[in-house]
Amino acid sequence: MKRIETTIEQLKTAIGNFYNPVLHHFMVMNAVDLGEKIEVQWFFCDYAYPSETTVFTTQVEPEIEIPSIRGIVSSAWVAEAELVDLMNIKIENTAKGFVLEPDFESGPLRKKK
Amino acid sequence: MGKQYEIPMGAQHVSLLEPLHFKFTTENEKIVDTTANVYYVHRGIEQACCSKFKFRQVSFVVGRVCGLCSISHSTAYSQVAEKLVKIEIPKRAKYLRMLVIELDRIHSHLLCLSHVAENSGFEALFMKTMQYREFSMELLEAVCGNRIQYDFSIVGGVNRDLKPTVAKMVLERLKTFKKQLDELVDIYQHNWTLSLKNKGQGKITREDALRLNVVGPFARAAGLAIDVRNETEDLLPWKEVGFEIVTDTAGDVHARNMLRLRELYVSIRIIENVINGLPESALVTETKAFPDGEAVVRLEAPRGELFYYAKGNKTQILERLKIKAPTFSNVSAMVEAFKGMEYGSVPAIIASYDPCLSCTSR
Amino acid sequence: MKTFFKALGNLFRKPVTTKYPSEQTYIPDDYRGMIGFDENLCIWCRRCEMVCPPGAIVFSQDMEGKQTYHFNRAVCIYCTECVHACPVEGAIYQTAEPAKCALKEENINNGWNILFEEAIKSRAAYAVEKKRLAAEKAAVAKKDAEKK
Repeated sequence: MKRIETTIEQLKTAIGNFYNPVLHHFMVMNAVDLGEKIEVQWFFCDYAYPSETTVFTTQVEPEIEIPSIRGIVSSAWVAEAELVDLMNIKIENTAKGFVLEPDFESGPLRKKK
Repeated sequence: MGKQYEIPMGAQHVSLLEPLHFKFTTENEKIVDTTANVYYVHRGIEQACCSKFKFRQVSFVVGRVCGLCSISHSTAYSQVAEKLVKIEIPKRAKYLRMLVIELDRIHSHLLCLSHVAENSGFEALFMKTMQYREFSMELLEAVCGNRIQYDFSIVGGVNRDLKPTVAKMVLERLKTFKKQLDELVDIYQHNWTLSLKNKGQGKITREDALRLNVVGPFARAAGLAIDVRNETEDLLPWKEVGFEIVTDTAGDVHARNMLRLRELYVSIRIIENVINGLPESALVTETKAFPDGEAVVRLEAPRGELFYYAKGNKTQILERLKIKAPTFSNVSAMVEAFKGMEYGSVPAIIASYDPCLSCTSR
Repeated sequence: MKTFFKALGNLFRKPVTTKYPSEQTYIPDDYRGMIGFDENLCIWCRRCEMVCPPGAIVFSQDMEGKQTYHFNRAVCIYCTECVHACPVEGAIYQTAEPAKCALKEENINNGWNILFEEAIKSRAAYAVEKKRLAAEKAAVAKKDAEKK
């Protein structure tokens, strides 16, 4: 598993330079609650060498808005909508109400203090 | 431009097996736009696995995410936990896991095909396919002990052994099934009423499949040759037992039906090779280590690629578990496949896409 | 056209359905049935309770230290983890008879939650009592040693 650390400002250029629709396969987005910060991960793999996974990671505070990669990867809106519902983080242009009902308690996967 | 109507196809519908919700914007029966949501069956399984259950008990919990691909979830979790505690499982356990995965694929593909036939209006074919599917449920009960929730894979190996009487029964029943499968292929290919409803509907091209990252038979019918069984040999030895990839080029509902039927022939050959070449060894590897680090595993469920990510912190309880179901990747392609279709063929398209909502919003 | 004639022929054949539960379906001979317990062989290590995934086994303890085994047949998933975890062979085992249905009078879900909590509390109470008795004995022994 190859990890690549980026920051929020460089995220769109890093993924834009790396991703090619004919060569790479986008799998899913994931977020892990580390206490004070949240680590957000983007998983990709290569069609020609599929056993190697490439992960882009970044660590943010929960209130900061993360840019959306919908312009680069067309099918990423589903993964972003799920994380906004379950982890209560903010992503550009994404509203709640895809995986959880609108009046559900928000952010059930965050650690309880 | 005609007048636009909004038609909801709700969570409860006569022809819908799974609780999806779509809202179509149509103009004189042709669909122009779609929005979807899936918030009807969320049960909080990821939250429960990281707070209430110990890491060895999680393989039983995760097998209850879905009723149709139960063995794929518990095997994928066992593989990711084995990577976290750093052990290797014996060879007989690998072969037995492959046997149950292929038997599960037979019953799942026959269920999807019968549902496509029912939604196209051909109820007699729906009943016939279900009658031919019944033998696989009896075989699974003889091998695993249960018809649906097989608690077969555990962390370190498998739970039960295969007896010689059961192995003989499996080989005999497969011989009868092969003739029935030839009859089904003949009907699905040459019947005139089915082809009216299925040819040219729900089409997706190869460029769209690459752009939208689709997985499973949905992608293979469009010409994209991806299958997790084709890729690595270190976790389960698929090429050793005779796996071959099957693709098609047309990309519509008819192509997906024929592709699922052809995959069943490959599954029958794999099961015969596994039973005839089963090695002798132990069933379980014991260990007392705790999980540490993070790991990723992918596995081919009947509906596509299943992805597991786990992170441990040296205690009995995991820190994070992430499950991605194959239907989750296909939702965006589904929404695109509706453009330009008539409202009357929507049930057949949804059935051929083979959704499994229990896996998607767990 | 072939399917049309086959469908007409099916009018004169017997249906394929099994009339369950009047007729029995296929049952293999190593069916995953009820869990049995032998009190004389058990060594009371409680490993089966720690391993059970849904929590269907619990041991309660009275004030003299004797433990009692409780099992809930509706919560159990018959996975045989308890049988594999037991260090003594034959203390807990799986038979091949199917478990009976749960009836409303038995109050098998909410009643089990109450019984589970009370069993855990009784074990904690016995542990506290044992500590107090051991402390008393140690104090008495110290006094005797000082007298001598």
